[in-house]
Amino acid sequence: MTTVAPLLAARGVSKAFFGNPVLRGVSIALQPGRVHALLGENGAGKSTLINLLSGALRPDGGEIEVDGRAVPRMTPVLARQAGIAVVQQELSLTASLSIAENIGLGAYPKRFGLIDYNELAARAKAACELVGLNEPLSTPVGHLALGRRQMVEIANALYRKPRVLILDEPTSSLSATETKILMDLLERLRGEGIAILYISHRLNEVMALCQHVTVLKDGTCTADRPLAGTDAAGLVRLMVGRDPGDLFPKWQPAVSTTTAITVRKFSAGLMRDVDLDIRTGEVLGIGGLVGQGQEDLLLGLYGAIPARTASATVNGVSGLPGGVPKANALGLAYVPADRKREGLHLIHPILTNMMLPAFARLPALKLRSRKAEGETGRSLAAQLAIKGDLQRPAQALSGGNQQKVALAKWMPHDPLVLLLNDPTRGVDVETKREVYLMLRAFAAAGKAVVLLSSDTPELVHLCDRVAVVREGRVAAMLERAALSEETIVSAAMGAGKQKVAA
Amino acid sequence: MSIVPSAKPAGALYWPVQAHRNIGVRALFLVVLAFLVAYGVLFPGLFTASGFAKFTQSWFPLALVAMAQAILMLTGGISLAIGATVSLGAVIAATTMAGPLGVAGGTAAVALTGLGIGAATGFIVVKLRLPAIVVTLAGSFIIGGAALLILPRPGGVIPAWLSDLLAGDTPAAFMLLVVIVVLWKLYLATPLGLSLYAAGENPVGAYRSGVPVDAARVAAYAISGLLSTGAGLFVAAQTGSGDPVIGTAFTLNSIAAAVLGGIGFLGGQGTMRGALAGSLLLSLMISVMFFLGFTPVAQYVAQGLIIIGAVAIPQIRKVQK
Repeated sequence: MTTVAPLLAARGVSKAFFGNPVLRGVSIALQPGRVHALLGENGAGKSTLINLLSGALRPDGGEIEVDGRAVPRMTPVLARQAGIAVVQQELSLTASLSIAENIGLGAYPKRFGLIDYNELAARAKAACELVGLNEPLSTPVGHLALGRRQMVEIANALYRKPRVLILDEPTSSLSATETKILMDLLERLRGEGIAILYISHRLNEVMALCQHVTVLKDGTCTADRPLAGTDAAGLVRLMVGRDPGDLFPKWQPAVSTTTAITVRKFSAGLMRDVDLDIRTGEVLGIGGLVGQGQEDLLLGLYGAIPARTASATVNGVSGLPGGVPKANALGLAYVPADRKREGLHLIHPILTNMMLPAFARLPALKLRSRKAEGETGRSLAAQLAIKGDLQRPAQALSGGNQQKVALAKWMPHDPLVLLLNDPTRGVDVETKREVYLMLRAFAAAGKAVVLLSSDTPELVHLCDRVAVVREGRVAAMLERAALSEETIVSAAMGAGKQKVAA
Repeated sequence: MSIVPSAKPAGALYWPVQAHRNIGVRALFLVVLAFLVAYGVLFPGLFTASGFAKFTQSWFPLALVAMAQAILMLTGGISLAIGATVSLGAVIAATTMAGPLGVAGGTAAVALTGLGIGAATGFIVVKLRLPAIVVTLAGSFIIGGAALLILPRPGGVIPAWLSDLLAGDTPAAFMLLVVIVVLWKLYLATPLGLSLYAAGENPVGAYRSGVPVDAARVAAYAISGLLSTGAGLFVAAQTGSGDPVIGTAFTLNSIAAAVLGGIGFLGGQGTMRGALAGSLLLSLMISVMFFLGFTPVAQYVAQGLIIIGAVAIPQIRKVQK
């Protein structure tokens, strides 16, 4: 035991929502000068624990302690006064306000009752320098890319000079460079005696950064120990509760010589003059730093945004689909990254969500067959291991299960080409494994998978080829033999020519 | 102006921030300018003292209700009770000012009524988490009914000197508007004022950042009520008496002006300078079409088309990008 009192601690806290226990007797202690990892699959209770620690929720049982003293009624205000800052997963920024106004949000320096813009500028600038934000402070946040907004979010937390910093998956939208800056920064803050709670699904970050780990599984604590002496596989075992086996399925080539999609001089959104052949039976990865135009490539192929091309063939039909219904008819299906906004209708039943593409295909005024829908839904749920009543709203599911529903809804239509936009972002390890298996099986069945991913290991281990996108162009097309995290990252950052003939 | 706390060159943040907010409304300012020129050509009298006074007086109440609506729309709310509140302000002014309360007492009564109604509406919307559109629709019946109870038919009286001061050959209306705009800039430079944007666009995020979201929204409703009854007082001064239904048209015109000015329905989008320009544009459109001899029906149709165009043009440009 350390002799220093933890800056922030939870002692045997429990919390239930509508009778469902989410946390049961969980304890965690954040020590000064230590980066504490909090691991667990989606739905394990991590977010709830953060909300209890930051006062956003009140525990049903147990206590929250600050500096070793129990705080009976923790609130966000008290938490802030105690120097606890949280960087949430959902961004809390206001797009129409400037960077500085967002960083100071909720704690503006005042002079005669008015916001002291000079003081704000000085303090915001200091926070920006910490996270490497060099845009003018007056830039509206709405003009920034997602990764930069995340940095503003972190700057907002640092602006308050916290003693305890809680970060909930801060790197999920960051580029490799930004991640590096954040890692160095956290290391420095740790040296200054700040207690850091770090939540991430990226185990290599956790291994590199953290000294102590707490693992949650189904609302209970399965490990609370120093990280030294554990390896990534051991952590996964603790999270999943069984041996992880291989996270990635064994790679077996299934590529054929026929192409599913061919485009020449394809331009859409940020993408310019792309030549691409997508073959049946392959998983084609799309990599690169965040926001280089990868998403526009998928959306353009899918006909969801305007696209131009010199020539194109999609599943034997010449020309781009030019519209989503046409794309669906040609056998294309798209699974968006933002499942809450684009992938699912959260307040509607799981079953309705699964049936949506079918509704689009049925004759508009034909009566629905509830029985057939129910059967389809049940078989999809069984196929993808989606548990529970399908009449519940989709928002009742954990992130991983929501993603499965977003995928499942296309399955009855037997798509020939799956366009996936970061399907495993914020998804727990077990679901990741299931998704990977599905994708490989899909390719093995002679179909094409286009996998846009921000998770580099995923590209390395799952894909037959990876197109690395930089500044709206395919900077490199890496064949299986040349795939490694180093080649992808260096191509993404424009370090050296990695072009391998396609 | 003392908005920038001090002139330290190192901290030049306030003005660049303001400049960024201008970007969205530059095109609107140009259109307003074009209409002003057209109006000046059609009606050269605009540039005389009395022509200017008359024009600003016809604009003034619309400017106030546009602000009243815009402040709510910035928080993600809306009010369908603005017209009724204007009417209530007018009848309270017309029934109190000539009585024992006098002008000062009457003005205070009008102001307190506006603040009170606004705060009560805001409290119901914010604390009970009810949809603003329903609460204010119900509110418009109650407030309009109250106006009719106080003054069942047009009547009452506004002291002649006050009518002459506000609606005679004086630039009083314009100067009042300048004062109100300065007060608004000051409010927006307070933490509570700036919170409007955060509370409107991302209430959950704002709450977690420690922004007093509920307080900011209730305050916005109170200010909105005050501006509405203030507009009522001015309208009563223009006519010299009170009319319990005089404000009705202001409800939809306030929304039209705010929308013309680029205020979004989703909260946190737009600027007050845009809403004011929108109200000026609406006011100019009505006058210009009047001078061009449009029939009232044609005026309404043209007004509607222009509003749709104003909303559609930025959208079309965005799609083309």
